[in-house]
Amino acid sequence: MGRSTVPKRMKPAIWCQILSFGLFFGLMLLSVHPVPPPVPPEAFLRLDPVAMLAAWLAGAMAWSALGPVFLLLVLTAVLGRFFCGWICPLGATIDAADRRVARDGGPAASWEAWRPVKYQILAIVAAAALFGLSLAFLVAPVAVAMRFYALVIHSLLKAGAARVLSLIRPLALDADWTWVVYADPGVPHFGLPWFSAGAVVLILAAGRLAPRFWCRYLCPAGALLALAGSRPLWRRQVSPACIDCGICQQACPTAAIGRDPRRTRFAECIACQRCVRLCPTAAVRFVPNPAAPPRTPQASRRQVLASAAAGAALAWVDALDPRWPGARRPLPAGGAGLIRPPGAVPESDFLGRCVGCGLCLKVCPTNTLQPAGLAGGWAGLMSPRIVPRLGPCEPACNACGQVCPTGAIRPLAPEEKTWAKIGTAFVLRHKCLAFEFDQSCLVCDEVCPYDAIRLERMENRQVAVPLVDERRCSGCGLCHFHCPVRPASAIVVEPVGALRLAQGSYRRAARDAGLRLHLQRGPHAPPPASAPQAPEDRPPPGFDP
Amino acid sequence: METRPPRNPSEIWTLPLNRRRFMHRGLVGLAALAAGTWPPGPARAEGTPDLAIARGRPAEATRAAVAALGGMKAFVRPGQKVVIKPNMSFAPDVERATNTDPEVVRELVALCREAGAGRVRVLDHPLRQPELCIEGVRQACTAFDEDLVHGLAAPDFFKPRVIPGGLQMRQTDVMQDVLEADVLISAPKAKSHGATGVSLSLKGMMGLIWDRGIMHYKYDLNESIVDLAGLLRPHLVVVDATRALTTNGPGGPGTVVRLDTIIAAADPVAADAQTVALVPWYGRRMAPRQVAHIRRAHERGLGRMDIENLRVRHL
Repeated sequence: MGRSTVPKRMKPAIWCQILSFGLFFGLMLLSVHPVPPPVPPEAFLRLDPVAMLAAWLAGAMAWSALGPVFLLLVLTAVLGRFFCGWICPLGATIDAADRRVARDGGPAASWEAWRPVKYQILAIVAAAALFGLSLAFLVAPVAVAMRFYALVIHSLLKAGAARVLSLIRPLALDADWTWVVYADPGVPHFGLPWFSAGAVVLILAAGRLAPRFWCRYLCPAGALLALAGSRPLWRRQVSPACIDCGICQQACPTAAIGRDPRRTRFAECIACQRCVRLCPTAAVRFVPNPAAPPRTPQASRRQVLASAAAGAALAWVDALDPRWPGARRPLPAGGAGLIRPPGAVPESDFLGRCVGCGLCLKVCPTNTLQPAGLAGGWAGLMSPRIVPRLGPCEPACNACGQVCPTGAIRPLAPEEKTWAKIGTAFVLRHKCLAFEFDQSCLVCDEVCPYDAIRLERMENRQVAVPLVDERRCSGCGLCHFHCPVRPASAIVVEPVGALRLAQGSYRRAARDAGLRLHLQRGPHAPPPASAPQAPEDRPPPGFDP
Repeated sequence: METRPPRNPSEIWTLPLNRRRFMHRGLVGLAALAAGTWPPGPARAEGTPDLAIARGRPAEATRAAVAALGGMKAFVRPGQKVVIKPNMSFAPDVERATNTDPEVVRELVALCREAGAGRVRVLDHPLRQPELCIEGVRQACTAFDEDLVHGLAAPDFFKPRVIPGGLQMRQTDVMQDVLEADVLISAPKAKSHGATGVSLSLKGMMGLIWDRGIMHYKYDLNESIVDLAGLLRPHLVVVDATRALTTNGPGGPGTVVRLDTIIAAADPVAADAQTVALVPWYGRRMAPRQVAHIRRAHERGLGRMDIENLRVRHL
């Protein structure tokens, strides 16, 4: 590959890729409760056409949320698959990896027969979504990239930072750099790390087979953008100065330039403009051309219909599972234990909308949100669940709903969020220190922010025992988290009584249900009532006679 | 037999306890206390009271109470490192009386600075999100133009230490800042506690260790509080009873009684005992011996709960 002999040109595509990736990564890093970054971090996810369309079809997501995708499709019709070459964070990652991984001398075998596969995958995903099953978490490129960067890379960076801090802390103490001494970034932990990392590692490893293997042959978003942008207005044009040197064909990452370098497969061209930079005679330009290029079929109709049928069949077979509502006795999602984040819409829409991006997991300040794994069915593998023993759900925090791109978790104002009951705490009396072992402990009462636990002196008991008032309990899990019984807590939160509203006010629904979820701090908490005095014949709680 | 007074909070008993040593040590301890040579620090003047009870607004009462004990210079020498341990384990709200009044903490920091302290830190291991819990105190201390208020919630900040003389709990992980400090000042809020009766200075030391759950779970809570008090000995205790949470403590909500009182002492057991006697817990008068951990601390020789025999100055 020779350097260009023409005057230096700007490399807009590469700059844009770098800036775009920087923005994507930076927004992800900055999305920390309670301060949101100026641009919503889920902006890139809102541009992912497969993620958004699947959420719309399978999860009844609002029409209006499709705005960014609609805009993208219109721009793609004019500019071609510029998203893939200029904006997509997974594409930028692939390009960077291809530099290292790509085989010298080009692909060993021709994978061209695989070109239609991405359309087939798109058809499977679309058909399955139409019948209620969202496969977006597996194949939507921005979701896959976000999961990798937010759950794997970010966690590794934090772990590294924590290690460095612990090494330099003694030095900082001597130098009195208090900022460093007390810095505690925290190291988040997320389940299924191999799934989040493995998907991207495999995609990048496929670069060994051919550059941009994923984008060429597998990416359903690329397929959709290819359909929209197969006849772009602004496109590659080759002037008569072309000398048939073959450089552009070799350099094109998506092999969009055929035998004849003057012809371009616009459905595959990602407008990276490498051909423009490398052309020794400056014969290649990207310009608007009102004359429509010829139609080229991308995949056989038969193949696509067969794939669609397969996608539909997948959805129908999955619907046989007794956990879906509509079955006579639906199994509770995840058996007894699957607690969804506050503001999560009802389960079947929740699973339809969740694209497994992992942004809510990342932003959660207590690290309680974890991938559900198989607990909610395989399609909810990366959907969020609350694990109280890892962390409580802070009552004043509403971060997860703020960043969810599809509204699987509704964004709730702080006052609403405190009324979004996610479950109820139950004392396991056979394990509780007070009930079973006559030990005075009252940590659960101490930490409960809703004052839902009262201590009672019961007959035949030396110490006061905790009792949960389920109408005051929001399931936040502070008790479950702080209970000193090891290893498993003696007070556990289960999703009993959780409120899951598709729309409407949580506060109103909770009050209608007779709940009294008054957070003990903040402008909405009622003034503390004067407590009942201890009976005269007994000393007050904790005192000896 | 241990004759020299202990030099820093983490060194108290070096020999195993038996009845004779206990009696001997108790007598020596009482003698030392009477002679004013214990707790250690710059010599305190003769005639200094053991307990000071000051009434007034939080800042003024704090200053007056400490002054009555000889001023902060009796506890802090120039250049020394000081750690102040308030209650800041819950979301701050002065009306709920679950955290130490930020004005009291600010005044203590000011007093330490005036005495020439080299480095002052205000630390706690909060139960809820640290940034939220320390907010009130941090805002009050911004005038000092230094990053001195911290809620430490990562295990990296704690180092293991053997508890000499521990009957139940024999070792624990303590904040490194505390282990390295020259002076420890305890500034608890006067609160009731459903399991231990009250949460004052002795109970407050649980906020300086990493794993306090184990004190509930594995050990007898009251006994392990006393064990811990043998390791973490504040030089000065300033109890914030400006507003006291007299029922439903330590988290509330409960009956908050405005007493506008600060109780200060060098002996944590005495300070706690005086607070127990002074505050109307659940509307009643309670005696210090009715609080198990105070009684045990007295029995084990960590301090005096017989406040009727101590010199008390009212201001």
